[in-house]
Amino acid sequence: MQRRYRTIPDLKLNESALTLAFTDPALAGKLTAMGVLPGARIELVRPAPFGKAYYIKVDGVRLALREEEAASILLEI
Amino acid sequence: MNDHSGKLLKIALIGNPNSGKSTVFNQLTGLRQKTGNFPGVTVDMKEGRLRFPSGFEATLIDLPGTYSLYPTSSDEKIVTTVLTNPQDDFYPDALVYVADATNLEKHLLLFTQLLDLDLPIVLALNMSDTAAEAGIKVNTTKLAERFSVPVVSISGRTGENIQKLLHELEKLLKTGGASIPPFYPLRDSEKQVSDAVQLNLSVDNPYRALLLAHHHSWLPFLPKQERETLAAIVQTKNFQSLKAQVDETLDRFDRFTPIVRQTILQPSVEPATFTDRIDAFLTHRWFGPLIFFGVMLLVFMAIFFGYDITGGWVENGTSAIVDIIGNSLPDNWFASLLTKGVLPGLQGVLVFVPQIALLFLLITILEEVGYMARAVFIFDKTMRRFGMNGRSIVALIGGGACAVPAIMGTRTISNWKERLITVMVTPFISCSARIPVYLVLIPVALPASSWWTKALIFGGMYFFGLTAALGAAFVFKKILRTSDPSYLALELPVYRMPHWKNVWLTVWEKVKAFIGGAGKIILYISIALWILGNSGPSGALENAENNVRSTAAADISQDSLNDMIAAKRLEASFAGIIGKTIEPAILPLGYDWKIGIALLSSFAAREVFNGTMYTIYSLESVAEIEESEAQNQRPFERYGRLRQQMASDTFDNGQHVYTLATGISLLIFYALAMQCMSTLAVVRRETGSWKWPVFQFLFMSGLAYLCAWLAYTFLPKV
Repeated sequence: MQRRYRTIPDLKLNESALTLAFTDPALAGKLTAMGVLPGARIELVRPAPFGKAYYIKVDGVRLALREEEAASILLEI
Repeated sequence: MNDHSGKLLKIALIGNPNSGKSTVFNQLTGLRQKTGNFPGVTVDMKEGRLRFPSGFEATLIDLPGTYSLYPTSSDEKIVTTVLTNPQDDFYPDALVYVADATNLEKHLLLFTQLLDLDLPIVLALNMSDTAAEAGIKVNTTKLAERFSVPVVSISGRTGENIQKLLHELEKLLKTGGASIPPFYPLRDSEKQVSDAVQLNLSVDNPYRALLLAHHHSWLPFLPKQERETLAAIVQTKNFQSLKAQVDETLDRFDRFTPIVRQTILQPSVEPATFTDRIDAFLTHRWFGPLIFFGVMLLVFMAIFFGYDITGGWVENGTSAIVDIIGNSLPDNWFASLLTKGVLPGLQGVLVFVPQIALLFLLITILEEVGYMARAVFIFDKTMRRFGMNGRSIVALIGGGACAVPAIMGTRTISNWKERLITVMVTPFISCSARIPVYLVLIPVALPASSWWTKALIFGGMYFFGLTAALGAAFVFKKILRTSDPSYLALELPVYRMPHWKNVWLTVWEKVKAFIGGAGKIILYISIALWILGNSGPSGALENAENNVRSTAAADISQDSLNDMIAAKRLEASFAGIIGKTIEPAILPLGYDWKIGIALLSSFAAREVFNGTMYTIYSLESVAEIEESEAQNQRPFERYGRLRQQMASDTFDNGQHVYTLATGISLLIFYALAMQCMSTLAVVRRETGSWKWPVFQFLFMSGLAYLCAWLAYTFLPKV
């Protein structure tokens, strides 16, 4: 079956997508408090120079997320 | 203004990270602030005096920045701890909530949580100047109406409307604020829990009751019985804390986002900004790390040359004072304690102040500008490989000045293991106290080598320290276990010019932390060392002195005679006895009892090594001259007489003490050994037990011993 969502690592540079939901409750608590909300538009700015982290933009706010933090955010196709 | 019991009223300043809260704090209090410590926990807290236009005064408390009352790191936990406990010493009578006006939609979650705690609150929309420039218009009247709280547009940078904020706050304190219905009505499942907590623990506020249930496992003020009651309630109601937190957060956003949109006029398109253009370089795949290393190189060169210049000033200035005091006092034990114990101790503290101030000045500027967050982002992966967090990089850089304030800065790391590892390995980074020791030892180890070789070895010492730090961290990573979650999730703030008042105050705070933490201990140990060096078994010191006088050549100068007496007295003292007692233990490293004494005295601060060596080699009167000449000499040409004496010294068997092997062995020992009592004291404070500092002392010194032994064993003794 085809996946109904994708995650930040699936995005191309400067591509953006709407947030659908979170997979991890603890990370969801942290991310939502920082303003990463379902329905928010996330843009991938660039991966970290050595990898394993992403520079993203959410509604004009710039955030650095680890791979697993980024992967816990489900985005629309 | 005072409360019923006559104490000053307490106002807490609160807001998200990057809301410009500290700028507002500095604007409100200026220099009328101090850093205190929350009792029982190890988070420093800034406290200042607030003066209202009408002349009333109140205490202003700066709470750590946090996004919500559901904390993840130890400094965020403070906010929840203080605000859920009306008995807390810092429980405020009113709050000033600082929000970034340029991004209000992301800054009000915590605000609405605080509304539900029923505390009188003023909403301060900070950065109003930047918001106005960006074309953002806020209808404060409407906002105030919708939230039923006073709202003031301010700018911490320009000081705009700060007086108005104080005025609103004073009005609020007099009226006590309007009683308003909860912003977030609890869901059924939450209400059941909250009701049960209110009933069983007699808590008056429903939201506070809910927070107690959420955080019952760690809130430090809960007595055992209440903790158990809360746990029982959570269990019987089958309360899903994490899910409830997320639901609450989303619900709050749903409620306040429309309010923000109705009261704020924001230009819809966001142009590619200055910050984005800069980040294209600073976080670039190749340029990012390169620029970082370039910046660090510049920072450490600035420190080194800064040390050279300012160290000389302090040395000369304080030596002059010591001389004046020494000459005006009669020659007795008290004068000696003062001029050879207390004052050199103070001098040892002061010598480091300019360099520590300089390094923290540079770090603070990088932090204020917004660069540090990028460094954390770039190196998070690297640091994690060694069991640390991207945030550890800030501590490791700070360790280049002094481990004491650097270790205190690890509190932003939420994961206990990552934080502990950072605390444990930061002292491996070569701090400024090691510089003078390296400068003596490198030319002693390699007298014939070129200036460039010596400079390279000097740089290599920093690299060696860093390697040791990362290596040890890697081992700890394999050993330690924790179930604490680890986060990066970090906001990368917009680049801004540093706010200089913030910079100066932060540097001042770090210097105070050094003087208060390390300084006191350096002073105490200097005094203890003076006692060890100036007392001995009965009559031993007098005998030593008389021996020198009776055997000395008749034509010897007074200075030389005094120097010889000082050296022999030190040898006969308890310090000398300790040095000789430990000689068998340090002989395998190539050290004689004289180095033993120097190692002992390095417990005050590593640089005391030099001073002790001067005394021991009968050069006490030369020490001051060479110290003050040092700033006019190239780094490895300093301390010439001392090095000459050391070079000609031999063991009993006639073999030279200072060979390549001993020199390198000593360099390695000074790079690795835990010799700093001040660091151990701060580690104890930060980890809450003696277990970790004792362990740190043992493993660092053990590693130092092993590596020094290997170096001495395998290097040529020439």
